[in-house]
Parts: sequence; C-alpha cells; structure tokens
Amino acid sequence: MKHNDNMEEKIKKKLNFTAGAKIRDRIFDDVLKAQENSKKTITALKEPNIWRIIMKSPITKLAAAAVIILAGVLSIIVWNKSIPTAYALEQTVQASHTVRYLHIKSFKPNEDEPKEFWIEFYEDGEVKNVRMHMPEWDSPEDGAKVTVWKENKAQVWFKKKKSLVTFSDKTIAANTLDFIEELDPKLVVERLYYAQQAQDQVKIEIDEPSNKAKPIVVTATCLPGSSRAGWRVVLFVDRATKLVTAIEFYKLKDGKYQYVELIEYYDYNQPIDAEMFSLDDDIPADVMQTDQTTQKIGLVQGDLTDKEIAVKVVREFYEALIAKDYAKAGQLYSGLPADKIREKWEELKVVRIISIGEPVPHPDPGVGGFQVPCKIEVERDGAKSIYEPYGPGVRPVHGQPDHWNIHGGVK
Amino acid sequence: MIEDELLKWKFKRGSKDALQRIYEKYLDYLLTLAMALLNDAGSAEDVVHDVFVNFAKSAGQFKLAGSLKGYLATAVCNRARDQMRANRRQPARLDESDPAISGSDDPEQSVIYSEESQRLNDAVAQLPQQQREVVVLHLKGEMKFREIAELQGESVNTILGRYRYGLNKLRSILSAEGGLRW
Repeated sequence: MKHNDNMEEKIKKKLNFTAGAKIRDRIFDDVLKAQENSKKTITALKEPNIWRIIMKSPITKLAAAAVIILAGVLSIIVWNKSIPTAYALEQTVQASHTVRYLHIKSFKPNEDEPKEFWIEFYEDGEVKNVRMHMPEWDSPEDGAKVTVWKENKAQVWFKKKKSLVTFSDKTIAANTLDFIEELDPKLVVERLYYAQQAQDQVKIEIDEPSNKAKPIVVTATCLPGSSRAGWRVVLFVDRATKLVTAIEFYKLKDGKYQYVELIEYYDYNQPIDAEMFSLDDDIPADVMQTDQTTQKIGLVQGDLTDKEIAVKVVREFYEALIAKDYAKAGQLYSGLPADKIREKWEELKVVRIISIGEPVPHPDPGVGGFQVPCKIEVERDGAKSIYEPYGPGVRPVHGQPDHWNIHGGVK
Repeated sequence: MIEDELLKWKFKRGSKDALQRIYEKYLDYLLTLAMALLNDAGSAEDVVHDVFVNFAKSAGQFKLAGSLKGYLATAVCNRARDQMRANRRQPARLDESDPAISGSDDPEQSVIYSEESQRLNDAVAQLPQQQREVVVLHLKGEMKFREIAELQGESVNTILGRYRYGLNKLRSILSAEGGLRW
C-alpha cells in the first residue's frame, strides 16, 4: 500500500506536460475563430429563449419582459429610421452603459411592501454586489428574507425562522447572475439584436410631452398573433439622463389592459454604502447562524452512490440522536448547533432505528436529492411508539457538493 | 469552483475573455491528460485542439450543471478514445518526426516536459487502455472513482480493481527499468 501511495504522489506531481508558446497560439487562434462563428449562430437562434426565460422565472418574468420589450422598442427606433421622433432611444442605450449602481423596487397590486434590490457593478459591467429584500408574500413558507451576495458568497437571513445561512454555491451564484442579467440596462444593447426579429409584432408609441418636466413615455403593445399577445409595457424615460426610471406592466383581460406590476429604478450611479452589502449590523443576537463556507456539514460521499450516501446520512443522524451526540446530529442536519438539536429532540427520544428503506427522488425537483423512508422507535413521556418521519430529505450541501446532509423531514 | 461558475456564465454569453481564461487555466491540464492517454504529442495536441474548438462552438447551447474541469477532462478522454480507434485503422505515419514531439530544436513548437515525466508516461502507456484511463483520470484528472465508473459504464468496484492493477503494473514496469525508486 505504501508503494502505491508513493506511486500516486509521483504521478500526481511529476507527470506534467506544458504546451509551448506556438502550440498555445495555434490552438487558441482556432478556438477564437470557432467562438466567433458560433456567435453568429447564437444571434440568430437566441431570441425565442428570452421569452422562455421570462416565463420560467416568477421573480424575473415581468422585469425581463420589460427589458425585452425595451430592447424591441430600441431596435425598432435604432434601425427603423422612418419613425419620426425627436427623442432617440439610442441615448438611453448609451446612458445605460455607464451604470455602476442601481436601486430597484418592484411593486405588485394589492401588496404594500415592494421587493427591493440594490446592485453594484464593476467598471466592466459585471455584477459586484447585490442586496435583495424579499417580502413575506413572495414566499410565505420562508417568510421575509434578506439576501446579500458579495464576492461570490451569499448570505440569506430568514427573518421568520431567525436563521442566517452563508453559502458559497454555484447554483446561487448562477441564479443571482441570471436574475441581475434580466434587469441590467447595459445588457439591453445585446438584446436589441434578438428583438430585431420581432419588431413587426409590437406596436410602439412614443409620447414626448411638450412639458419638459414630464418624462418621455414609450408604450409597447404586443399585437394579436404575436408570441407575447396580450401584454403591454409602458416605459418612463428621464428627460435629462435618458435612463429608464420606471416600467409598468399590463395584461389584457376581459378586453381591458389590467395593471400587473410596476418596477421603479432609482439612484442611478449614486454610490451605495458598502455596509448595505453586509448583514453584520442587521442580524439580531438570537439569530442562528450557519456558515456553509467554513463549517463542514454532512458526510463525505467518497465512492458511495447517491442513494448509499443518503441512507448513510439518515442512519448516522438517528444513531447520533440515540447516543445523544447532538453536535454530530447537528452537523448532519444542515450544520445546526448542538443546542438547537437538543432543544428539538429533548422530549421525543429516539430509542432505535427499526428500518431504513430505499431512497426515492424528492417529489419537488427544485429541492433535489432524496427522501429516505424510515421507521424509528421513539419515547415520549415514558411511552414508546413507532414513528415514521416525513422524509427525511437528504441532498448535497450547498457549496460542498461532495458532502450530503439532511435538510428537513426528520421529525 | 466559483470562478469556474462565473467563467461558465460569461462564456455562455459569448465572452472572449472568459474563453481565454478557461483556455489558459486548463490547456496544460488537458494536454497532460491527453499525453498520458495517448503518449504522442501530435495526437495529444490534436485532441486538445478539437476539445477546445468544440467547446468554443458550443457556447450558445452550453449547459453544464457539473464541474467545468470534469467536463473538459471527460471530453479529452472521449476524444482520445476516438483518436486511438482512428490510429488503429490507419497505417503508421511515414513521418514520425512531428514538430510537436520532443526533440524539436524549437521549444516553443514543442510539448514541454521533463525526462522523468516522459519516463513515467512511457510506463503509463504500457498499461491496458482501461487501466490507463482509470489511473490517469483519477490521479491527473482528479476525477472520483464514481465519475470514472460512469464514464466507463462499470461499477465502482471494477474501477477500483483496474486502478489497483494499474498501479501495481506501473510499479513493476518502473522497477524493472530501474529508473525510479519509490
């Protein structure tokens, strides 16, 4: 075995090949050409995907619709010079390219509290920091929550659950970036090309009031027969900065356009205080904190299959409870502190594991992982009984894909 | 990991910078894998070339939930298998003095490596293909046995067996040569 270990190290460290400079350049030239050619194809193909994105994401669909329609409006104006107007939306495109800071509010009918977002961009336009306030109505189960995404790390404060979770997770990073992409005015230019193909599907009306104090109003109405039939989007453009300040969304119902959502853009390029992108001063002392970027959570999968590791996690969790090893149980259960586990399981004592069945995929694909059916014997107030928990749900740990943990359904 | 996620995101949106960063980050890694699997500089260069070109072409449809590194390593492995099959069908090349093979007077034209690397690679090249894949993908590709099992369509136990046999054989080859001491 010792021999093998040495051999392994030798191959890991000593077996290396490096490309000479000319090979590097030669391959890279072809790679760049391939990307350029592919971009032409992407441009022709991508437009329909935009609408799919809108429909897919409940959070972003209206905001994305605004951007798309704005892109449509812009494309028509930019390329169809026959539309007579003093105002050129190209100015809005140009102005949007210099945005470093942005504050957004999203209002829904019958809801007092808006969703709210603060975004800081790098100079090259990439997203740097984000803060999101989501009211309870957006997700009643989670309750109100505040998310800060900074330096590729997300912190989510679940106010109702008194819980703060820190992730460094690819899914969260990708979702955050996808979301911001739909709102980022700089990306409007890119989408102009996509919307260009749909310009005969949208009726555009531009109202530039003689009263200079009033904003320019751009109304985009999707025509019957178009893929977006029934939608109307109204954009308000600031006269001085040429930036979009608000977008209203309407949906045709019973022959009338009914108001669906309002998005307001504030404080373009007003520097956002760095403290906005930190929750340090916001979190009350009684909030339970789990840092999945530093804490080792769950069990290492190693060479076990997904189902095998799911069973192992559940078995070791209940064994830890039987042994009253609350620290280990907490480590297996989302990294919860031992005190919290003790508090949850003090009255209901686990006596023994009766059986652990075959894991089945979690019924909600968005949750992922498995549910592991099991039976345990429990004792409460001296009386023993058989208990079948709902779940338990087991899946990879956010940001620690080699680790699997329980995320709920154990009690 | 997170850097790769950002690179994937930017790459998918047509970023040239992201493609360049991915290329710089993984070129030597993939070249090492290809060399270890094929033990021929010209073929390895072809494989890496094709993998990157196909990757660049895929930007519009690119969807990847898993790791970028693993994805590229798997692509090299698959392409190397194709190359081996093609080589078996073709007669030996007349000109073996490919400019990319060691010994070229111009190091910039070459795949660069140490003598020890070449000796190790010659030993790895003597392993049966499946054992070679397991040893190379695990030790140099940093792939898990479970992932290699999926790639080869075998059980994890089979893969572990191939790995063990592969390492033992390598030890025998190198001991017999007396070129390396462990």
